[in-house]
Amino acid sequence: MFTPPSRFLRLVRPDAGGRARVGRRQIYILPTRAGLGFGLLLLLMLLGSINYANNLGFLLTFLLAGLGVVAMLHSWRNLNGIEILAGRPRPVFAGDRARFPIRLRHGDGGEHPGIRLRLDDQTVAVDLPAAGEKVVELALGAGRRGRLRLPRFSIDTTWPLGLLRAWAFVEAGHELLVYPRPGPPIPPPQAAEYRPSTRGDRGVGADDFVALRHYRPGDSPRHLHWKSLAREQGLQTKQFGGDRADRLWLEWALTPGDSETRLSLLCRAVLDASDGQLEFGLRLPGEEIPPARGPAQRRRCLERLALYGEKA
Amino acid sequence: MSSRDRQPVSGGERLALTLLVGLAALPHLLHLEPVIGLFFGLLWGLALLARRRPSLAPGRLPLLLLTLTGAGMVLAWYPLLFGRAAGSALLTVMAGLKLLEIRRRRDLYVLVYMAFFILVTQFLFFQGIPILLHALAVTLGLTTLLLEASRAAPAPLPWTSLRRAALLLLQAAPLMLVMFLLFPRFSSPLWNLGPQQGAAVSGVSDRLWPGSIGRLALSRAVAFRVEFGGALPSPSRRYWRGRVLWHTDGVEWRPGADGPDPVKPAPAGGTAIAYRVTLEPFPGAWLYSLDLPLAAPDGARLTADLQLLRPGPVKRRTAYRLRSAPEPAPRQLTPGERRRGLQLPDNVTPRMRRLVAGWRRQESDPRRLVARALGHFRDQPFHYTLYPPLLGDNPVDRFLFETRRGFCGHFATAFALLMRLAQIPARIVVGYQGGEVNPLGDYLIVRQSDAHAWVEVWLEGSGWTRVDPTAAVAPQRIERPLNPDLIQASAGAPIDFVRQQPGPLGRWLHRIELGLDAIDTGWRRWVLGYSQQRQGELMRMLGLDFLRGFNLALGMVAAASLLVAALSLALLRHRSGDDALARGYRRYCDRLARIGLPRRPHEGPRDYARRVATARPDLAGRSGAIARLYIALRYGRGAGDRDGLRRFRRLVRAFRPRLRPPRT
Repeated sequence: MFTPPSRFLRLVRPDAGGRARVGRRQIYILPTRAGLGFGLLLLLMLLGSINYANNLGFLLTFLLAGLGVVAMLHSWRNLNGIEILAGRPRPVFAGDRARFPIRLRHGDGGEHPGIRLRLDDQTVAVDLPAAGEKVVELALGAGRRGRLRLPRFSIDTTWPLGLLRAWAFVEAGHELLVYPRPGPPIPPPQAAEYRPSTRGDRGVGADDFVALRHYRPGDSPRHLHWKSLAREQGLQTKQFGGDRADRLWLEWALTPGDSETRLSLLCRAVLDASDGQLEFGLRLPGEEIPPARGPAQRRRCLERLALYGEKA
Repeated sequence: MSSRDRQPVSGGERLALTLLVGLAALPHLLHLEPVIGLFFGLLWGLALLARRRPSLAPGRLPLLLLTLTGAGMVLAWYPLLFGRAAGSALLTVMAGLKLLEIRRRRDLYVLVYMAFFILVTQFLFFQGIPILLHALAVTLGLTTLLLEASRAAPAPLPWTSLRRAALLLLQAAPLMLVMFLLFPRFSSPLWNLGPQQGAAVSGVSDRLWPGSIGRLALSRAVAFRVEFGGALPSPSRRYWRGRVLWHTDGVEWRPGADGPDPVKPAPAGGTAIAYRVTLEPFPGAWLYSLDLPLAAPDGARLTADLQLLRPGPVKRRTAYRLRSAPEPAPRQLTPGERRRGLQLPDNVTPRMRRLVAGWRRQESDPRRLVARALGHFRDQPFHYTLYPPLLGDNPVDRFLFETRRGFCGHFATAFALLMRLAQIPARIVVGYQGGEVNPLGDYLIVRQSDAHAWVEVWLEGSGWTRVDPTAAVAPQRIERPLNPDLIQASAGAPIDFVRQQPGPLGRWLHRIELGLDAIDTGWRRWVLGYSQQRQGELMRMLGLDFLRGFNLALGMVAAASLLVAALSLALLRHRSGDDALARGYRRYCDRLARIGLPRRPHEGPRDYARRVATARPDLAGRSGAIARLYIALRYGRGAGDRDGLRRFRRLVRAFRPRLRPPRT
């Protein structure tokens, strides 16, 4: 596809609302190879018609020529006004393939068939229905951690006849987060530092026996201490603790290797800790994520690792 | 090439392509050698079968063999590969072979283009309205196929693409018209591609023997059409003069070598009639005129014996204007004319001489002798028939004295010879007689079945005078044309013209035929016959006659560009009614954005209007009204309310906020 020098390139860029719209001035049109063949066909038909002074031949030739011209308008109109919006991309780990979901829609109430997005050598085609939007994905190799920006891609169509290609270059600015590549599963880089919980072991857990207390209505009969009743010490209830879990600090300072290696190892540690349902925190130079558990904590930590060294 | 180009062609596309190419080639199969048609049919059927069962698709080697077979066939039946028929045969066979080799996206386009080319080559063989309708239908199909092929997935509704294709073609039609009318036409071909191999064109020839015209009598083919400026001449005056034959060898009459022609054609007398002839192509190098032409049209010359000769055969439909007057000019017979007009063959028999000598003894005046001879044909049992018995090597003698059944050729040749024997200079004129008035088109159709031959004799004081011996035998022949459809049955029998009145059904069919001919004439005049000359006339009519040649091409480009501009405007504005609403709302937002209040992406119309009202209280009323109406039309009961939409658009149009609020 023809790419003009970047100085003259007219790009489709998103507005403040993140919506990129293909404008009429950003559309380029050139014939496809099939279109060049069509031109040759028309030339042959015209020469034949002239030579035999065949008016029906002229009629058909000119009808097809008119068709080609009309097709150009329709190609152009097919692309004009298409809106390109970012979908919600899923973060990936470095080395994986990042998939950028791209939402395409059009507001003119007509069908827009044969819309294609091209990025390098991948092409995805979609027919935009008259109402509603379609989501297509452009995939991209995620090389290194950090923010991955969807590079400039093109949106094109050869609809209606495949004779002409109308296209526009889009710099949608869609971004996606790339986490560091998880390192080898090594034992935790440092002895887990256990600290007394500030709020645990109040007898509301279920694992370890802690003490007895007086029965209160509503206590489970299973927890009744029947022996003390036998000793005529009154009805007592067993109390259990164990809500004080292992609390893990993942420490940059205690991780070996250069900074990328450390990030990679920490990434693995975060994944393992999260998979093990542990409560964990993360300490990086200059910042600290307090211990917590669950997918939100995992995401928070991975994001910090991905963006380490970048301005937040 | 994109990844899509490398995708194989889908089964549906393959089927559509096969059917469309077959349909496109169908008319060719009607006129090409049957063996070519059979071969194409075989390839086509194989392509259709192979779609279902890929194992039937020929591999590389069988395909090569098939290709060689096809090439061999075309070469065997069209040895020099020269001319239109050979080219068309080759194209058809190639398309059939290509049907077996649809592998890539590119093959689809190649086949579509081949089908288009097949369509255009058919116009070299057929020129009627049906072939154009056929071409349009196939074009619609091929356009639909291209539309489907450029989609990401087949259209959910089968007719979506068909309708879209029809729309595209309709939009292309004005462009076609402009280019058709303004594209510069050339009067001569770019290069000569060999002899005409089109449908056999026949007509009156410049040779006449007793049975020669009978072959034409059964043909309904049109020889020419005539439009008259004023009233039509009476049927008995409708003699269409073609060739004049002077020389006979006893069997055949020919024009004969032109003698020195000292006589300038003299203008004929009587009331002149102006008319316009549209002549169908035929192999002769002359034009037809109403007896007798006054001057030659461009490109032809008028000879002393009042023939209109042209340098070459009439290869295309040709139209010309003429004026004619009925009476020959008074002048002297030249010695050359006398010699040629009295030339005798060497097979004149004694009984012919005796017959004429008998007349001459009774009548000395040439006029009365002519009448006597005509009386002979009338009184003796001569019959007018399209199926005369065979005559030997002295046809005139045998016809006069033995068979006495014949057609105009028999009567004319016999009569002319008898006149010469009586020392009255005589010559034969071949052409047409009569013609049918088409009431729907107000013109005269002259068909091949109107072909006729008559005699002209030199009479002192009157000049060359037309004598039609056929009229003496069958006067109805002159008053009413032959209807070949009605005389088919009565082979050999004398024709009874009175019995030929068609019944009500026949009359009704005839009216339909005349109506179709009127359409056909318009078609021929405005489509097939659109020539350099007619283009010039049209440009003069439009006051554009300064556009010639290259300028005409520029004019075509300019007119086409205007059309494209108009079309693109229409396409841009073309949106459904619902979206007039969206457009109006966008306009309203744009205008507010211009004064520094752009709508935020998350803002709905109500919030936006509220913010606008806070920022610019002076706009609150109008902006609020627009927002309320928009909400009602878009989300509320007002959806589809045309009046509401109209009011909304009016409000938006009038909404022109100023940059600063007006001071109060």
